[in-house]
Amino acid sequence: MPDTPARDEDLVRRYLSGDRAAFAALVERHERRVYNLALRITGREEDARDAAQDAFLTVLRKLSSFRGEAAFTTWLHRVTVNACYDLLRKRQRAPLLERGEDDLPAREPPPAPDHADASSLSMDVQQALLQVPEDFRTVMILHDVHDLRQEEVAAIVGVPIGTVKSRLHRGRIALARAMGIEQAERFEASEGPPTSGDSRGATPGAPRSGERADAAGPSEGTVSP
Amino acid sequence: MSHPDDLLADYVDGTLAERERAAVDAHLTGCARCSAEVRQAEAAKAALSELEDVPVPFGVTGPVLAEAGRRFERRPGVVWGRFQWAAGLAAAAALVLVVALNLGGEDAQNAAAPERAAAAAGGTGAAGAEAAPPEVIRFAGLERQPDVSYDEAGIHAVANDAAGAVLAAEDAGDSQAAFASTVPDSKDRTSLARDCIDQSGVRGPNDVLIRLIEAEFEGTPAFIGVFAEGPGAGQAPDHIVVFVVAKDDCRILSTASQRIPSG
Repeated sequence: MPDTPARDEDLVRRYLSGDRAAFAALVERHERRVYNLALRITGREEDARDAAQDAFLTVLRKLSSFRGEAAFTTWLHRVTVNACYDLLRKRQRAPLLERGEDDLPAREPPPAPDHADASSLSMDVQQALLQVPEDFRTVMILHDVHDLRQEEVAAIVGVPIGTVKSRLHRGRIALARAMGIEQAERFEASEGPPTSGDSRGATPGAPRSGERADAAGPSEGTVSP
Repeated sequence: MSHPDDLLADYVDGTLAERERAAVDAHLTGCARCSAEVRQAEAAKAALSELEDVPVPFGVTGPVLAEAGRRFERRPGVVWGRFQWAAGLAAAAALVLVVALNLGGEDAQNAAAPERAAAAAGGTGAAGAEAAPPEVIRFAGLERQPDVSYDEAGIHAVANDAAGAVLAAEDAGDSQAAFASTVPDSKDRTSLARDCIDQSGVRGPNDVLIRLIEAEFEGTPAFIGVFAEGPGAGQAPDHIVVFVVAKDDCRILSTASQRIPSG
């Protein structure tokens, strides 16, 4: 018996060759990852269910055109991210994206999180995540939650790796601020709180000017599978 | 050193090269802005790492698999396609193989020689062709379970049991392990059931039949075929796939699959 299960690409090949169960095996193997990715990006169970179904249906529809240039998992992640973006757009939950990353509005920080137990911590983090702009959030989720390498994240979202690094760092800062880890706290031991002239302090999650190395904004971020 | 913004993500990840890390460390000692950002980013990364996967709710993938089944059944010549791929033959030749397989009855595979089982399932045995996994469970004939009606969960349980049986047989080195056959003399009926499953077009080239059940599925008289499926090239099976087809017209009623745990 082999130590490793069949590769995804082999299951794809089997399915295309007439083995119906191979698709079920692919779904079974990846459903948890796809659903959880969708849940983190959309923030709602109902949306995650819809996005996960949309993603798998897209995979089913386009499996015959999957040529294997990219790893199947890269493609699956990309399809899932796009399904989430489509869903969020349909629900008009992504107005920020239409305005560009340099123009994000200031947001009220959420109440201080209650870290009484692990589940409330998870809920706090999830709530805070939703306050981070979509593209930053996606990069963070792929890298920091799903442990994908930066190169894989770049391939999934279709941006240069420098942009991934930038979004990752700015996204983490935005998340920290949304969690109530405020800038003032950071300066307490050094030079005191930032002044009102510190433009970064007023705009959680907003990238500094020049942050964006890529031309593809989040709203154009949908990538063809 | 200007603010090393492009290095801070990697700094927090701990993936910077030694020299770059030292340079950033030196910068951080004198830059409150960057050191504060690093602390925030580290806190965020730590919080994200605490997020745990949640189980997939019931019903998320069911509609997807149902759609896959519908699409599969609409595919023309699916059996042809499979054998074309498996043996690298022209379609006409593949059809001959399908017919031969269907007419061949059970003896070829029941003879229990792994090579013969592989040839029967895989087609030609030609060089480079896919080869079915070695037979780890001897197919013992049709099991009639007249009073049993399976549901989806029951089919999954069948798949699960079979995966366990394959694993146990491999561990024990028992090449004669078999599921109990309750109707040892029902050779014709066994052929009928096997043909019905083959006719449904669901069976793959690397599937080796290890169990066949006649029962009901959600009230519909059905044949349930349990196959050990391997990656090809004669490697050991890594999945159990179960196909449920209706007795009256051999249409697919349900499927289940179960990975055979390695080792």
